Amino acid sequence: MKKNNGIVISGIAAISAVVILGLAGCSTTAGIEATGKAAWDEQGARILEKNVVFNSIGLKWDLQILDLRSVLVGNIMKVQATLRSKDKDTLSFQYRFEWYDAGGLEINSGAGSWKPVMLNGSETKNIQAVAPDQRAKEFKLEIREPDK
Amino acid sequence: MIKEMKLLFAVVAVGALTLSGCASTIQYGDAGSAKPISKDFGSSDLQQIAEAMVDSMITFPPMVELTSTQRPVVSVDKVKNKTMQHIDTESITDSVRSRLLRSGKFRFVDRTTDAQTVEELKSQQESGLVDKKNAVQFGQQLGAEFLLTANFSEIRQQAGNTTDVYYKFTMSLKNLKTGILEWSDEKEIRKVFTRGTFGG
Repeated sequence: MKKNNGIVISGIAAISAVVILGLAGCSTTAGIEATGKAAWDEQGARILEKNVVFNSIGLKWDLQILDLRSVLVGNIMKVQATLRSKDKDTLSFQYRFEWYDAGGLEINSGAGSWKPVMLNGSETKNIQAVAPDQRAKEFKLEIREPDK
Repeated sequence: MIKEMKLLFAVVAVGALTLSGCASTIQYGDAGSAKPISKDFGSSDLQQIAEAMVDSMITFPPMVELTSTQRPVVSVDKVKNKTMQHIDTESITDSVRSRLLRSGKFRFVDRTTDAQTVEELKSQQESGLVDKKNAVQFGQQLGAEFLLTANFSEIRQQAGNTTDVYYKFTMSLKNLKTGILEWSDEKEIRKVFTRGTFGG
């Protein structure tokens, strides 16, 4: 009976290992979503309402968003996100920006492409993007681990 | 013994089911994916170049000033492809042009459809089908004020199992009247390919 128990336990372990490996091979990471919305304070100065959501525990361990900023260049919104690696090793990520108009509708929906970014150990790096046109009042920065 | 056999069968069955989830399939991919498949020029490289060029051009202070009061007319030159690859460079300039147009800052003339334009105008003028009052006359098109030119080069180095490919895309905006380059920028991309011990 003892022998059978051992077999059952190792069998369950084997099944779990196969399932975990199988899922890991096909899964994608949700990553980080950071949004910024242009607004105005009581004095009429332009401010940015920020919100950062971590969907992946792995990325939360590795990466920190230190700052989100936005300026108007002419009449077009330009944004900068400051990323800091919390890891000692070089890390690779992908990021993309999505842009929304004053009504919250996405501009050029689905046109944003992922861009690679590499951070050396404990490095702080800025990533910048420019809105497609003057309608953009809000952005969403998405960060994920590279495709496997 | 039978129990063990059953267990083994269960492990094999679960394993087979899980693995079959990753068997060869065909599916739609993300058009904006940044997954490098090879060291050759790929779709993500094209998107990175186009976005970098447009972002730089529309935020360059003299360009911001120029485009605040008018929408300059630009013509796009062919890219000088100095890489060792066959690349559809018109696809890069098409992406740059579309993005610039959609920014609402620039207007473009398209030399590639001149033959069709001449044919259409000729037909309007000569076929007798079109009302003379609203037939488009020859010689009324706007000339480009600026020319968008580009160079694309590649440096490839190989040592042992590692191939390092460096791409550089340089774009400039030339004022056709004065001959002055009003804006220029470059985008660099580096790809490192390491051949595995097994397989190609």
